[in-house]
Amino acid sequence: MILGDLLGIPVLDSDGGRLGKAADVRFVLDGAPHQLMSEARMLGIVVSPHSAASFLGYERTNLTQPWPLAYLLQWRHRGSFLVLWEDIALIRKDAVRLRPGFTRYSPALEDLDQGH
Amino acid sequence: MTSPGLVPLPPVPGRILDAQLHLLDRQVLDHDGVPVTTVDDLELSGPDIGAEIPQGTPAPVLDALLTGPVLGTRIFGGRPPQSRLIRIPWKDVADVGVVVRLGVGGEGLDASWVERWVRDRIIARIPGGRHDPR
Repeated sequence: MILGDLLGIPVLDSDGGRLGKAADVRFVLDGAPHQLMSEARMLGIVVSPHSAASFLGYERTNLTQPWPLAYLLQWRHRGSFLVLWEDIALIRKDAVRLRPGFTRYSPALEDLDQGH
Repeated sequence: MTSPGLVPLPPVPGRILDAQLHLLDRQVLDHDGVPVTTVDDLELSGPDIGAEIPQGTPAPVLDALLTGPVLGTRIFGGRPPQSRLIRIPWKDVADVGVVVRLGVGGEGLDASWVERWVRDRIIARIPGGRHDPR
C-alpha cells in the first residue's frame, strides 16, 4: 500500500459519521531490528477534523513561536487526535472506517520524547 | 499539550516518526553525504485497500521510501502508477533527522539513475567534463 493513498482521505466512525481527514500516519521504530534501523511499525493515524493535511505539526508540539503562526496553525488543526492501528476496521480508496468504541489519543509528540 | 477529552498515549518503546513531519519531502543523502533524492512517498507492507482488517492483525510496517516523477501529480493531483515509483528499502536507511541518511552508497541506487545518465552521456562529452574543475 502507498501511504499517499491514505493521507487526506476522510476518516469515518463505525456508523459512517465523519470524524475528519487522515492528516498524518505515525510510525514507531520498535519492529524487528535490521542492520541500521529497526522496522517502522504503523502506530496509527492522526485525524484532523478541520483540515486535510498537517502543516509544520504545531498541533503536536508545545511550540508557541512565532506566535501568530503557532496560534493560527494550532487553531486550524484544533481537535486533532490519534487513532491506533487496532481501532482501524477498514481502509478503502475513499475513506478509513474505525471500529466501534475507538479511543481518541492525544497526537502530542512532546510527551513521548522519553521513548528515544 | 494533551487536549481535554483525549487520552494520553501510553509510552511506546521506540522512536516515534510521523510520516508528514519527519519523512515526506526530506532530502535523502547516501553514506558519503551525497544527495540522492527526496522522499516523495512511502510504501507500507499492508493492508489491502478495501479489505476488512480483522481484529488482532499485526500493524503494517514501512517497507520502502519512494521517489519518482511526482511533479505533475503534485500540481494536478493523483500519484504516478506504482510501477513508475523507485523504491529505497527501509533497511538501507541509517538515520532520520533533518535529512534521511542512507547506510549505502547512492551510486548503485535506481533513484539516482537520471543524474548518472546526465553525467555519463552529456557532461562527460563536454571538453573538460571528465575531471574536477581546477
